[in-house]
Amino acid sequence: MRTFLATLFIAISGILILWISTDGGRAFTAEEARRLEIRETPRSVPDWQLQNQDAETFTFQDWHGHLIVVDFIYTSCPGVCLILSGNLKNLQKDLSAEGKSDKLRFLSITFDPEKDTPQRLKEHLSHFSADFKNWIAVRPTSSPQKEAILDFFKVVVIPDEYGGYTHSAGYHIINPDGKLVAIFGIEQMDELRAYLDQALEGKDNASKN
Amino acid sequence: MHLKIKLEWLLLAALIILVLPPMQQFLEQSMVTHMLVQLPALTVIGWRLGRALPESWSNKIAPWNRWGITGMAFAIIIMTYWMLPRALDAAVSEWYIELAKFITVPAMGIALGISWPLLNPIAQGVLKLEFWATFMRLGWLYLDLPDRLCANYLLSDQRVLGQLLLLIGSAWAIAWTLRVMFGTKIINT
Repeated sequence: MRTFLATLFIAISGILILWISTDGGRAFTAEEARRLEIRETPRSVPDWQLQNQDAETFTFQDWHGHLIVVDFIYTSCPGVCLILSGNLKNLQKDLSAEGKSDKLRFLSITFDPEKDTPQRLKEHLSHFSADFKNWIAVRPTSSPQKEAILDFFKVVVIPDEYGGYTHSAGYHIINPDGKLVAIFGIEQMDELRAYLDQALEGKDNASKN
Repeated sequence: MHLKIKLEWLLLAALIILVLPPMQQFLEQSMVTHMLVQLPALTVIGWRLGRALPESWSNKIAPWNRWGITGMAFAIIIMTYWMLPRALDAAVSEWYIELAKFITVPAMGIALGISWPLLNPIAQGVLKLEFWATFMRLGWLYLDLPDRLCANYLLSDQRVLGQLLLLIGSAWAIAWTLRVMFGTKIINT
């Protein structure tokens, strides 16, 4: 009887712990967990002073009222950043063709600020024939600031075996009120597109009314 | 008796060495050493501690743990938790999850050490087979997945871990086969 009770207690509390620590069976990896967490509890983005490709200061406040898509890069990246930014390029092309790009901004943040000088950021953007008005690249201005930014977006960067980095790849959506509201994976381009369409249209309607 | 006390101190010393930051960071640099060296070492230390517990303690626990069932339930829950990719990631990035790991994994070992010998042989067989199957399943999964499961580890690391899991699982299967067919006893389990 005592064994039965003890086992029952352990089984129930154990399943409860597993349930809570997977957000109710919805997130088994850290990547899933950060996406879910942002969806459920959007957070205001702090007003960091960053440096853009023209060596000017940029803060998120500058783009208040715009929908912002943030991706994380380092310019010597041979792989996933190219796909990340390449997708943004296509997105920019499509949306400007539909005349929706006015309220949309893209921001590429480098996590390798020592190597990624404004000059290199500029080259990176030109590589994707970015429209500099709607798409800029920035670097953190200090090491603690970089850590704070990565921590806020829960982006994990680790060195890889080729002297570069492997990092959480995704599109981080900041709404016009300056809140981080959603994260899409690189494999979720269709969902990202649908989300942006809806958000931009919603805005149009609101301004019409 | 003298030898027994010595063994316990050795185990505690081994545990402390594993917890010390240089060793901890060294083993957690790679997914392979984290999962195939650190976690098993913590479990084995717990297991040996569990076997070395004074008899008066085991007698007190016994009515709560008939046939070793309670202890096995505890061990299975802890094992399942540390198989979650996000738990491994959290252990690397959050100190309190790391602390929980260094407490719960040896505790799981202790529970196994106490409960496994009490367990019904058929239940032992089922669990062993299931444990082996987990090696093979995870090995296959890690080899096959195009994406990383842990934000703190490289894809190449995950692949190597997959290969090693399949290798260990296969060696285990071969040892079992030899034992069933020829009675050669290479390993105890």
